[in-house]
Amino acid sequence: MSQSANLQLPDAHGYLDRVIGELRAIEAPHKNTLVSVLEYLSSHIRATRSEIGALRSGSGNPQMFSTTTDELEEIVTETARATNKIMDAAEAVEKVAATLEPGPANALMDATTSIYEASAFQDITGQRITKIVRGLQSLEEKLNALATAFGPLDENFVADTREGDAALLNGPQMEKTAASQTDIDALFASLG
Amino acid sequence: MSLNKNMRVVIVDDYTTMLRILRNLLRQLEINNVDEANDGDTAYHLMQKNPPDLVISDWNMAPVTGLDLLKRVRADAKLKHIPFIMVTAESKTENVVAAKQAGVSNYIVKPFNADTLRAKIVSVFPAMV
Repeated sequence: MSQSANLQLPDAHGYLDRVIGELRAIEAPHKNTLVSVLEYLSSHIRATRSEIGALRSGSGNPQMFSTTTDELEEIVTETARATNKIMDAAEAVEKVAATLEPGPANALMDATTSIYEASAFQDITGQRITKIVRGLQSLEEKLNALATAFGPLDENFVADTREGDAALLNGPQMEKTAASQTDIDALFASLG
Repeated sequence: MSLNKNMRVVIVDDYTTMLRILRNLLRQLEINNVDEANDGDTAYHLMQKNPPDLVISDWNMAPVTGLDLLKRVRADAKLKHIPFIMVTAESKTENVVAAKQAGVSNYIVKPFNADTLRAKIVSVFPAMV
């Protein structure tokens, strides 16, 4: 089997560079066109590896996709919590309405009905976000497969280049890793 | 047409928020005999133990979807006569057609309002006045 038949993607541009070097040494007509094409291919493979590396590192965050999906799932959780609080309040209003005269009671009942109807937004947005999360997970799997095919990409990772105040913008916090108000108060107090 | 306020309803949805919305809207229709399930499988076992008068189910649930549940209900001699309303965000023609072919009694697209819910419940009990 020839060397090119065993060629793996991670070696491809190195192999092409060697072929280009050998071609340059050969005295042959039209070799310049072939060399140009191979140089283009080699440079294209390098650029693609670099771009995949940058995508995987996601502006310095090696878990860009999982972080994004966590953030989206947090939206679902937070909106569900808010919706339940809204419904707690609506149910309390409904109980009070039951003790009132028919006029104001009916007005309050209509209002609570509207609140219940509007609360369905949480179900709809939840389903939409879940679809987005699944799409991102699928994209991440495909990207990882592609990155694996291109070999180790560590040297291509793009570091987080944010500095100063800009580097402090990482919120809102994820609930599972978030500091509580008690933690913040303790930290604040410890800073004098 | 009026509603039978004593009917027993099973509501099925994997979003607890939606179950709460449905329960509250049914309570405002004075229907208080309501059981809940978070998925089709749980709902089916609930129904087998105590067949309800009406099922109101979401479609998009795992592992047993609302459509699967509908098909199970329609294939079950003890349950097949029970009116089944699908309440879902799945609103493509093929969804409605598939549900109809599986024997759904009516179909509500989310988001919906209390008037629609009431009208659909009334529609699946045509003889009730």
